Amino acid sequence: MKILVCIKQVPDQESRITVDPEKAWAGYAENASYWINRYDEHAVEAALQIREKLPGTMIDIVSIGPARVKAAIRRCMEMGADQGFHLRYEHEDYLSPSIKSRLIAEFCRDRDYDLILTGVMSEDMMSGQTGPMTAARLGIPSAASVMKLEVDLEKQCLYVERELDAGHRCFMELKLPALAAVQSGINRPRYPSLSNVMRAKSTEIEEISYDDSLLDAKYETVEKVLEAGSDRAGLTLQGSTAEKAAALWQLLHERSLI
Amino acid sequence: MDHSIMIICEQSEGRILPVTYELLACAARIGGFYNSSITAVLPGNTPDTDAISGADLLVINSPGLAEYTAEGWEKAALLAAGELKPNIIIIAHTSTGYDYAPRVAALLDGSCITSVSGIELSDGSIRYRRSGFHGKLDMLYKEGKQPLVITVLPGAFPAYDQQAAPGMVRYMNADIQPVHTSNVHFSISDQSNTELEHAEVVIAAGKGIGKAENLELIREMAACFNRSAIAGSRVACDNGWLEYNAQVGLTGKKVSPQLYVACGISGSMQHIAGMKDSKTVVSINRDPDAAIFKNSDICIIEDLEKFIPAFIREAEKHHEGRV
Repeated sequence: MKILVCIKQVPDQESRITVDPEKAWAGYAENASYWINRYDEHAVEAALQIREKLPGTMIDIVSIGPARVKAAIRRCMEMGADQGFHLRYEHEDYLSPSIKSRLIAEFCRDRDYDLILTGVMSEDMMSGQTGPMTAARLGIPSAASVMKLEVDLEKQCLYVERELDAGHRCFMELKLPALAAVQSGINRPRYPSLSNVMRAKSTEIEEISYDDSLLDAKYETVEKVLEAGSDRAGLTLQGSTAEKAAALWQLLHERSLI
Repeated sequence: MDHSIMIICEQSEGRILPVTYELLACAARIGGFYNSSITAVLPGNTPDTDAISGADLLVINSPGLAEYTAEGWEKAALLAAGELKPNIIIIAHTSTGYDYAPRVAALLDGSCITSVSGIELSDGSIRYRRSGFHGKLDMLYKEGKQPLVITVLPGAFPAYDQQAAPGMVRYMNADIQPVHTSNVHFSISDQSNTELEHAEVVIAAGKGIGKAENLELIREMAACFNRSAIAGSRVACDNGWLEYNAQVGLTGKKVSPQLYVACGISGSMQHIAGMKDSKTVVSINRDPDAAIFKNSDICIIEDLEKFIPAFIREAEKHHEGRV
């Protein structure tokens, strides 16, 4: 079977963000480090676990973004994926999930994937749109927030467990081909093995060209980025660790909380 | 009225759930701006439904809509959209909403903005606010191609309570059968956690505690308070440090204790959704830019491994003094 995992490269959570009002977009400090979106890393792991059960399975990785994105694709190959594909998009700006999903759907045509996996959302934009939209454009079923999945090749179906609100679950079978957007609790992503690191070094990541006119569609845009509003007074305690501890105790005591 | 807004009711076995009235409040605000007609769509398999205030109701009935499937809801939404020609479609950002809403946007080739937390009316147009970058930034979006599909965060709008006359109710019998989805069933797992639900003080652990061993610090801190319980962020539960029944957030528990202490929690909107009604919020995090500080009454920029023992010593000092 053929699996595609769609991944995104995102800045490390603690990287400093700068807001540029001119560009209406958030920038990261030049020394920001980038990483695979954590949810997507779980999608890669889910693909690897399927291949362990179904030998002969091929796992492809695809990602959209500037040159730096190759490092994230390479990391997935170090984890054990077979091939990597890169859709170059050079701008550091807002690219609508509607456009991303069109690019990925275009990429998927004629490649006959049986299963497409992705993370439930990205850590930076947290929109959770690209996966379900890609499936809709390909005319295949999808499930978001998947906590467990199993492939039944004989029945040509994907068994999934979705996480619902308040900890409830929903179970169902989706006809293959299908897309699953996985939630972080699904598995523990592995570390790359030395042999896979060596193999990934010598494997080329293929750059895929696409129809530029797809980028022109006028979907929603981000007009302004601002520091998150403050909902509470936010008193920041000062002094040494011990002084702060004493101040906190005092404040809680005044409010009869301790 | 040329402008049309369609909301899709959040329902359970044909019963309209309260979050629907929050969608209605959002629709009423946008509708006041564009002078829109507002129609609520109820997919399901229910013969009789009461009218609702503030909107007409379009009930789409089909045996295939007896329970939620992305496929079924998507087809119902497309059918209703064909009928109502909406400029804007409003859906709840719940586990069902985020499952099918982006699909509806893609199939109608419209724009899509998920987890909307507010709307701003200015300069003759509307901006949609949502949070991103681990909750550190808010983004204001402008609509593009229509229809615009938005999903609205539960709790973002107060429920619609205006004294408007009940709207019309219309029924459409459809033949919607999921063909790609089968054997759907649900489990209502026992996620109860009485201690956490009744706690007056909640000490919550996030990714920042770093390792399972540090949970002991969280427990010791909780022991300083009466009627306290420990809880965790999604990451803390995913890492196996805590059971999922201790997870606070959008997909976990909603708590509103007298005191909530967030230890090493970054503060994404998913987490905030679960604790924002707490009376007093204290946050301890070594990242001065952590979004949780925007939602805290008392902010402590410190390493947990140093601060919590210092706080416990402080508490013990006062305790001994009293005896």
